[in-house]
This record gives sequence, structure tokens and C-alpha cells, in this order.
Amino acid sequence: MPIKLKEKITKTRAHFLALLLFALIIPSVAVVCVAIGGMLSQERAMEAAVSSYVQDLAESMSYHLSSDSDVWTFSMISDFTRFPFFSWGPSIPGWVALIDQEGRVIIASPGAMNIAAIWRKDLPIGKAMRVEDRQGSQYTLAVYPVKRTGGGYVVAAVSWTQLLGGLVGIVRLWPVLLICIAFFSFLAIKLLMSRLVNPLKSLVSEIDNMTLGKDVPEKISSKAVLEIESVHSALRRFAQAAVERDNLRNRYVRDIVQAQEQERMDMAREIHDGPLQDVTALVQQLHMALDDDNGETVRIRRTETIAKSVVRELRALCDELAPPWIDLGLSEALTEIAERLSQVYDVLITSDYDDDVRTVEIENDKILSLLRIIQEAVSNAVRHGNATEVHIQLTKQDNVLILEISDNGEGFDSENINHETLRVEGHRGLASMTERMSLMGGKLSINSKIGEGTVIKASLRL
Amino acid sequence: MAIRILLADDHPLTRSGIAEFVKRESAFELVAEAEDGAKAWDLIVKLKPDVALLDIRMPGLDGVSVAQKVKSSSLPTAIIMLTSYDAQQYVIASLRAGAKGFVLKTVSPKELTTAINTVAKGGLYLDPEVASVMSGDQDFIPEPLSGREREVLLLAAKGLSSKEVARRLFISERTVQTHLASIYDKLGSRNKTEALLLALKYGVVTLEELLEDD
Repeated sequence: MPIKLKEKITKTRAHFLALLLFALIIPSVAVVCVAIGGMLSQERAMEAAVSSYVQDLAESMSYHLSSDSDVWTFSMISDFTRFPFFSWGPSIPGWVALIDQEGRVIIASPGAMNIAAIWRKDLPIGKAMRVEDRQGSQYTLAVYPVKRTGGGYVVAAVSWTQLLGGLVGIVRLWPVLLICIAFFSFLAIKLLMSRLVNPLKSLVSEIDNMTLGKDVPEKISSKAVLEIESVHSALRRFAQAAVERDNLRNRYVRDIVQAQEQERMDMAREIHDGPLQDVTALVQQLHMALDDDNGETVRIRRTETIAKSVVRELRALCDELAPPWIDLGLSEALTEIAERLSQVYDVLITSDYDDDVRTVEIENDKILSLLRIIQEAVSNAVRHGNATEVHIQLTKQDNVLILEISDNGEGFDSENINHETLRVEGHRGLASMTERMSLMGGKLSINSKIGEGTVIKASLRL
Repeated sequence: MAIRILLADDHPLTRSGIAEFVKRESAFELVAEAEDGAKAWDLIVKLKPDVALLDIRMPGLDGVSVAQKVKSSSLPTAIIMLTSYDAQQYVIASLRAGAKGFVLKTVSPKELTTAINTVAKGGLYLDPEVASVMSGDQDFIPEPLSGREREVLLLAAKGLSSKEVARRLFISERTVQTHLASIYDKLGSRNKTEALLLALKYGVVTLEELLEDD
């Protein structure tokens, strides 16, 4: 994709919400404007038509009446038939009336009864205009003078109320409707902002400012739309998981540090109690041999014995720290550890290895892991289970190495064991066995029942 | 004629200690010293000493590998592993590689002399510390093993499982266990490897039998 296009898309995406708002608002504003324009021009057209109509009507009537003055003097009421429109009124809703100088009705078509309510002396003559009676009904009327004895005026009027019926109300409602539309649009935009745009923005800034593994976002206020709420709760869950993961890692690191310190302390104690004491004794024996002329040979023989024991102790310490004989291969290393543990704990340890296990190609770190598992298992069996016999079996199925360590100890309820409690109490044996295996990509299972001994099974893909 | 000896050890201090002792003995002649496996191998090929004292852990070529090369080249040199490691599996590995002796570096001069003399004459020498439970009792004579027991011991010593030993000898696995228990008892050992080392030491089985292939 060309960079420019990409930039454009990014820009468009950046202003997406604004564009969306515009896309929603512009058509409705346009519709409203067009409607207003239409309404106004229609009203103007009608106004013009109505105005010219009443003007024409009043004018022609006035002309008629002016030229026919005789009739007037005779009787207007009896000669009603000569002016049929006075009885029927104009062809569009409205009325015509003849009034005298004081505004009293001389003759009028039906519906002109409220003329008194409209009539004002200052009404312009010969020009249509819009008036409103006391009830608020709208009229367009035109007044023309009658040029004859007695004077008077012809008034022709069209009632907007009657002409448009209920529409008049709607016309009046228009501004209200428009205000309503504007108000609701504003409300909609405000809602959109407060429920969608702002929550989204705060969500983004929350994500930006969140330290993963440390912060968990507060529960969101229920103002936002459900979708954002669910995104937010997903974020919460994610953050929670990160925090838990970090806690777990910190716990592991703490455990590791503790285990390291413990091991150092153990080692220091072993050196202090073993080789250090022996070398001290050695030095003492040498001092005495130097001072003592007679017992020289005996003393030197004693120093030799002590020195040899120092070597043995140091060798044992080295073997414990890093067994060098894992170089010899899997079955040799396992045989060696089994025989050593058998001597250390004074228990019978039998071991059986499948013939194809002897030729297995396996990395030293994996051998070491299996070795440590055997050490831990035997130590647990003897110290916690008081076992007297341990059997170690190593088999190979397909490409999986299976180490099984079973003992005749007291056993424990492996189903209901609480690893967390054990860990806190500093018993990391079972956990570290399991961790070791999973680190090597293998699996470890511990099966034990009270009174039935323990079986530990480790499987490792080669 | 003095026994011609080569000494290979990467630790200068221990090497000089042992060298001093060898030089002191009139029956021995120290023909060369090497500080690593490769040099030891070159010197063995060149000088063909009667006995080579090899450390197990050395930079580059380790002692067991040098022994293996000597064995496969059919050189006349008898190998004694001279090491700090007391792991019995090292003893077995060394013997399989053709070594005729296995001695810890803390060995007394008297014992080292015995070891060198023994292997120079074609014998086998194992440090009492790696193959002795009857501490101090050098004259211990074990009760002889039965023929079946010898067979079981040799097969087990080759690393075969009890099941496989049982299959080969057409006996039950339980019988194999019984035989092994009896062997341990007779030799005074606590496990298979020790039983084998003691059997070798007492001459109950020979090194040739052990190294024999199936």
C-alpha cells in the first residue's frame, strides 16, 4: 500500500467519530432546512393568492354596490337574492360583509358574525392584510369603501383556520418541532459523547496509562454503552490475569532466592561441620608433630587419616552439588545415584532398566533432572514415609522415557494435598519435582494413599 | 628392568606429588608427564610406556577416552585410572574402556606401588576405597558363587534388567532377585555394581568375562 494512502486512511480513522457525527447531523439539518424553506415559500404563495382573492372580492363587491345605490336605499335585507354570495359566502372558507361607517354589519354572509372582533378603524383600505381575532383565529382581509350615500365598507375575509383546518396548528407547531429536533439532536449528540465517545476516550487513556501486571482498572461507571462496558470488563480480566501472573512470577523468584539462600546456608554448614573441622584438626596434629619429637610417626599417620577424610567429605560435597558421573550416561548415572542413596539412607533400592534405555541418547541436564527427582523421591520416602524399600524402574515406550519410583512407605493422601500450604511451609520437594519435569517438557504424577506407599511417575519425551 | 611409566594429570600439584613418588621408586621409571588427554595419547603412541597413570577429568580428551583409544589400537600400555572420583560407575566405565586399574589420588604409596606392579604383570587392581566393604579385611575370602549365580551376576553387570536376565536364563524374575540377594550376601556387597567389583577383585569373575559381548 502506498504510504500516502496509508496516511490518508489513518487520518480518516483518526477523525472517524467526528465524521460519523457529521454524517448523522448533516442530512437531518438539510432535511429540516429544506422543509422550513418549503413551508415558508408555500405559505408565502398561499398568502399572496389569498390576499389577491380577498382584494378582488372586496373590490368587485364595492364597485358593484357603489354603482347600484338604488338598491341599497330600497332594502338590503329584502333584496338578499340579488347578492347570492352574501348568503353563500366566498367560494373558499371565509366571509364577506357590508358594514357601515361605525363598523356595524349591514349585511354579511354566514360566519361573519365575529367581524366586530376584527374590525378596527385603522385598517388600511384597499389592501389585503393579515389580522387575528381575539380567539387567535387568523384572517386575511381586505376592506374597500362603498362610494354612495351613507358610505360603508365591504370587508372580504378568508379564514386561515378554516382554510387550512388543523394544518394551521401544525404550521404553528413547526418552530416548536424544529426546536424539538434541534434539542433532541443535541441530546443525541450529548448522549453519544457521554455514553460512547468519552468512555471510549477514557478507555484508551486507561489502557495507555495502565502498567500491565500492576494496575487493575476500576469498575467503570454505568454511563457507558454495554459494548464498551464489556470491552472494559475484558480489559479488567486481562489486567487481573496479568497481575496474577506477575504475582506468581514474583512468588517464584522469591522462592528461588529463598531456595538459593537455604542451599548456601546448608553448604556453609556442611563445610563448617566437615572439612573445616577436619583441616583444623589436621593443623593441630601438625603443630603437635612439630613439637613432639617422640610421637612423630603416630601424629603424621593421624594427619594422613584426617586429610583423607577431608578429601572424602569434599568429594561427597562436590558429588552432591554437581554429580560428575552423569557424563557416563543415563543408566550408569541412575545406577550410581540409586546405590549411593541406598547407602546414605540405609534402605534397599532396587533398580530395573529396560535394555533399550541403556542406548538412549539423552542430554545431561535431563539426566540431572531425573537424578534430582530420584533423590527427592527417595528422601521423601525415607524421611516422611519411613520406607525401607524403594524400587526404581526406567522404561521406554515409543519415544517417551518413563521413570517410576515406588516405595513401601506410609504414603499420604495425594488427592487432597495442598501444594500452596506445603510451599509456604518451605516444603518445595513435590512442587520442584513437578516444575523440573515441566521445564524439561515432561510430566510428573504423584500417586499415594495412606498405608499404601507412594508411586512417582515421570515421563519425558526424548 | 624398571617399569616405564607415563603420568597424565591436569592439576600441577597432584601431578608433581605423584611424579615425585614414582621417581623415588627405583623399580619405576617416569618416562613422561602430560597435562591433558591429547598429549598423553601422543606420548603413549610415541613412547609405548608399560603403564599409564591417567586422570579421568582432563581438558580435551578425558582419561576414559584415552584408555579406549589404547585398547582399540592394541597398544601394550596398561592403563591405571588415577582420579578423585569414587563413583563406582566410573570404575565400570574405565574397566570397559580397557583400564586395568582404578586408584584414587589419596592412595598410599604402598598401594600405588602394588597397583603399578599388578597391572604391569597383566593383573587387575581396584582401590580398596571403591571396592571394599569389608574394611580393613584384606584377606576376606568370599563363599564361592554357584554357576547360576555367576551367570546372573555377569548378565546383571552388563546392565540387563532382572526381567531380561530372567528371560535369557529361562527362570522367573523372582528367582533372579533371589540369586542377586544371595550374591550380595556372599560377596558382602550392597548392590549390583559393588557385587561385580568385589567379584572381580576376589577373582570370582574375570575382566574378560565382564567385557565379553553378548
